[in-house]
Amino acid sequence: MLRFLFLIPICLVFSSISAQKFMTREGVIAFRGETILETIDPVSNQAGSVIDFEGGSLVVQVLQKSFRFRKALMEEHYNENYVHSDKYPRAVFKGNFSEKIDFRTPGTYAIKLSGTMEMHGVSRPISTLAEIIVQPDGKLSLESVFTISPEDYNIKIPGNVRDKIAEIFEVRMKAVYQPVQK
Amino acid sequence: MKHLYLFCIFILFGNAFLLAQGSEDLLDILGDEPNQNYAEATFKGTRLINMQTNEASAEGVLQFMFQHRFGPFNNDFLYNFFGLDVAQVRLGLDYAISDRLSLGVGRSSYNKTSDFTLKYRLLRQQTGKKNIPLSITLFSAAYLNMTRRSFTPDFSDRLSYSHQLIFARKFSSSFSAMISPSLVHFNLVEFNAQPNSLFVLPVGGRFKLTRRFALTAEYALQSPRNFSVRQGVETPYYNALSVGVDIETGGHVFQLHVTNSRGLIDPDWMVKTTGNWLEGGLFFGFNISRVFTLKEPKRPEVGW
Repeated sequence: MLRFLFLIPICLVFSSISAQKFMTREGVIAFRGETILETIDPVSNQAGSVIDFEGGSLVVQVLQKSFRFRKALMEEHYNENYVHSDKYPRAVFKGNFSEKIDFRTPGTYAIKLSGTMEMHGVSRPISTLAEIIVQPDGKLSLESVFTISPEDYNIKIPGNVRDKIAEIFEVRMKAVYQPVQK
Repeated sequence: MKHLYLFCIFILFGNAFLLAQGSEDLLDILGDEPNQNYAEATFKGTRLINMQTNEASAEGVLQFMFQHRFGPFNNDFLYNFFGLDVAQVRLGLDYAISDRLSLGVGRSSYNKTSDFTLKYRLLRQQTGKKNIPLSITLFSAAYLNMTRRSFTPDFSDRLSYSHQLIFARKFSSSFSAMISPSLVHFNLVEFNAQPNSLFVLPVGGRFKLTRRFALTAEYALQSPRNFSVRQGVETPYYNALSVGVDIETGGHVFQLHVTNSRGLIDPDWMVKTTGNWLEGGLFFGFNISRVFTLKEPKRPEVGW
């Protein structure tokens, strides 16, 4: 009888390990591309993301229509003419990292993410560095910077606006995660 | 006892199962976004050709609109350089106080009329938690005719009005249509027999051929049909029929069209259309708009 009872805590420990996921629905993603004529720097604070430390994986998704631009017309053109948000509503990143992180100990950890980004119907491999900061209150935050090119995602830019739209955009992400409650 | 054992096995296997799940399922944790999906850009501009669309500028945007109607095809067309020499112009400015409310002023050379407009977006087509199949916009305007008269009219005699409810739907990314029950009222009519108030039912649509090029058309039915009196004979005005194209570049929308209506404001084009399509009573025309962002939209704080 007692022999078996001790299995219960073991089982629960295992189950708690598998529950070590953190998530957010309010991640901030901004991208920025600058030319002499125009700076395009929209921002969304509605990115959803989940980190799973057990499997070493991270997903991020953001609705294209959640990006706010400095000009309303730019925003309309972005959704209507460039990324076709009605057809491809979201951009999704799915990646993995091999670093083992003790999410119970506050500190700053660097990870190398590699995975795929899907946007505008095109999936492309992408790898970047990210920093995870475990805060004393049990939350953690993640920050990452990388670059993408619209051409890579088959986003066509007509000749008459070519000078206004950068060829490379810097993408920044910053999000505060909370443990997933099972 | 045995149950406990099974229970543990179940949990362990359950965990193993969870561990085997890939990142695909991490997305499931996020669930569906609660976001409302609004139909954007049902039409490319605030005007289709002569019709007002359901669209209005975003908050803090000042729009300058430049509209032209050339001279008629059937009257010294080439002598007037394709009608250019006798073109009618309307210049308009409107400012969006909010995403819903825009106020504007304009001036038409035809009948020397100044206009004061109000556009209010009552409902926006959307899907999500709330589903609304169409957009409804209210448009109201007062027109001040500033021509010299042989008599001294009261100020109110110079005024006419237009009120519309614009029902618009974006059926697909390429096809949008609208219908706008309208009331046009003249404080002073030209002849006693003319009605002061006329109901008009304009319908319009656009079909996008490419991302930046679309075909447009509109037709306005009058009830009762307005008429003028020429040499003692009642001559009915025509219903306005216009076809055109929308060409979009970065910051501009060019709208080029052919219409049988020379006026650029509702009391003129809706109920006083003089051209007959079959007799070549047609006019080239264009609308060009340019927007200026006076106040940047509210955006989330980034913090870097």
